[in-house]
Amino acid sequence: MARLANLETEYPVLDSTVRNFCASHGIFSVEDFLIHDLYMLAAFAEQNNSSERLKEGIAQVLSIIDDMHQPWLNGMELLEDAKRNKHVFPTGIQGIDLLLGGGIRVGQLTELVGPSSSGKTQVCLRTASNVARNHMVLYLDTGNSFSPQRIAYFLGKTINPSSAQAKNQFLQKVMSNISCHSVFDIFAMFDVLHQLESYLRCQDGRGGCQMRLLIVDSISSLISPLLGSSSTQGRALMTSTGYLLKKLAHQHNLAVLIINHTVGGEGGYSKPALGDSWKCIPHSRLFLSCDRGSNNYNVSILRHPSMASGKAARPSCRGDTVSSSHGPYQPSG
Amino acid sequence: MGSHAKAWLVEDESAREMLDRVLTERPFLLLPPLHRVPLRVGNVVELVGPSSSSKTHILIQAAITCILPKLWKGVSYGGLGHSAMFIDLDCRFDVLRFSELLNHRIMEAANGSSSKVGCHQKDSEAQFERMKPYNEELFALCMKRFLYIRCYDSSEFLATLKTLHYRLQKEREVHGVNVHLLLIDSIGAFHWVDRGSSSFPLEYDNRKSWHLQNVSEAVVQEIRRLLLVHPMLVMATKAVVLGNKYSTNELTWNYRKWSAVDNPYSRNITSSDQQLPYREYMPAAWQSFVTHRILVRATDWRVHPFLNMCTGMYDLLYVSEEEKEERVMENIVEKGKEMTKKRKETGEAREVKVLAKKRKSTQKNPSYFSNE
Repeated sequence: MARLANLETEYPVLDSTVRNFCASHGIFSVEDFLIHDLYMLAAFAEQNNSSERLKEGIAQVLSIIDDMHQPWLNGMELLEDAKRNKHVFPTGIQGIDLLLGGGIRVGQLTELVGPSSSGKTQVCLRTASNVARNHMVLYLDTGNSFSPQRIAYFLGKTINPSSAQAKNQFLQKVMSNISCHSVFDIFAMFDVLHQLESYLRCQDGRGGCQMRLLIVDSISSLISPLLGSSSTQGRALMTSTGYLLKKLAHQHNLAVLIINHTVGGEGGYSKPALGDSWKCIPHSRLFLSCDRGSNNYNVSILRHPSMASGKAARPSCRGDTVSSSHGPYQPSG
Repeated sequence: MGSHAKAWLVEDESAREMLDRVLTERPFLLLPPLHRVPLRVGNVVELVGPSSSSKTHILIQAAITCILPKLWKGVSYGGLGHSAMFIDLDCRFDVLRFSELLNHRIMEAANGSSSKVGCHQKDSEAQFERMKPYNEELFALCMKRFLYIRCYDSSEFLATLKTLHYRLQKEREVHGVNVHLLLIDSIGAFHWVDRGSSSFPLEYDNRKSWHLQNVSEAVVQEIRRLLLVHPMLVMATKAVVLGNKYSTNELTWNYRKWSAVDNPYSRNITSSDQQLPYREYMPAAWQSFVTHRILVRATDWRVHPFLNMCTGMYDLLYVSEEEKEERVMENIVEKGKEMTKKRKETGEAREVKVLAKKRKSTQKNPSYFSNE
């Protein structure tokens, strides 16, 4: 946070008298202003000799504070932004697209939860291959599960059998839209996300092929080691990660797909990992499960933004199991 | 001298006049689905519940009721006609769903008034087409009254609150509309982050450190100041984890019987005479600022919320009854009577009233699951 001393060059009103006055009340930076009572400060400034200057200083700080928050929007502006920018990307898997009402949405975090070998990575690869035709994709891989051969396979199924050369060119183009990074701990992921943020800020200005999908496979392997029983730092990091992802999704029009695994819950049922504090972070949560006997893959909704609205609150939207055992949707190996 | 002294004793107004005045200036805001709770501007309502228990939905409904006009081009919409401000700390607001609900309410009101006249099918369709431009105009008018902001951390939240006064003044001057509703989605959103960012050593003694208590106090102070100058109703949601008996596991589709009557509430850690079924984590500054606390939770997988309200005047158990739960209902009434008796013994003035609402008999829901 900016110290008041450093702001003097930019805002000459904040000269030494103002700073000394603030220091006498324990305010040394703009952040300190936020937790102090500005009306009391103004009242103290009244009684001071150079009250005019002090009040100007306080007004200046207030205008700096006004730049520190997001802009206020009204409903029509929000709606316009949603209609113009926040599209839906189909994942390519019929069952999931049906449940989600089209696919994963830009500006929202979609979480896939499931026990091991329930096809979560396959869903990610399929979605990546779908989106990469027209946009760029960033794949953050924590368990070395990214498979270019699989993506080529998905792409190969969907293009017309033309000449081998054209096919090759197409594959090259789409594959070059996907960048895959391996991250093995949360701080490496923060690094990558901050680099991504600066990249996206430049990208928003120019046109061309833009990044529209971020996949984190899997976020639970990065965060679970931090969640000890008594430490608050782990949960603070988890919440900060969630908010950073939400910020990137909303401000730069990304769709974010994150993978979570399951842990044993009460009554023998498995529940999503990362605990109750994580529940408030993703917009939509899907539960994937696999029935080994019949080789059936099932998807169900744990949470969805439009579930509570009048028409979408049918039970079929919530608990319906849609089997999605199509050809391409098979587990690896 | 005597006449001067007497002048002091002349009354300003009678009690009845005062009541009339207050009820006109600060009327009760009856916002569905909380229309049974007498709320007025200046109250601070906290909606408490586990995740996915429709807390945000209640906020959205309240906002829609607030921004709809009371009467517009001959159709009564039953709204308040004021602006509403939504501070999104959860950053999960879905504007498409909001606009759907608003459209639904507008059309419902329009259809309601036309059906009263008793039109035929064809007439009502033609009327719908005629009403369309009016509906769109009203939609745009209402959406412009909904003000939204999102905050990604506590400093943004505090910055918003500190500059809100000037923003509201500007709104009043430019648009001439007053803001009567302040909605905060998830007041405990930054709880863990603020707790984690506490004690870094500060060089100066009198400097306030940035930790949970200070942030919370600053938030409460700002809102309090704001309410003095711009009287509003504040509604905030708070996500909690209910005790094990009450958690609805989204993956189990077994309907949990409400056997709560035997051993209702687990003790919470703060020593208050009211026993809460969840653990309170907000600092004392916020807890004492709240005037109304409403507990919302889903009773079964059908996500049917029921409201358990503690208004501080008397405890209401408002229950919606299922046919097969009649037995439980009787238990609840018994429990309510028991609690009242016990309280009368201990001298507590509060009475427990049980309002039970019978649901119309519904046909048995078809089973969607193979394992039932």
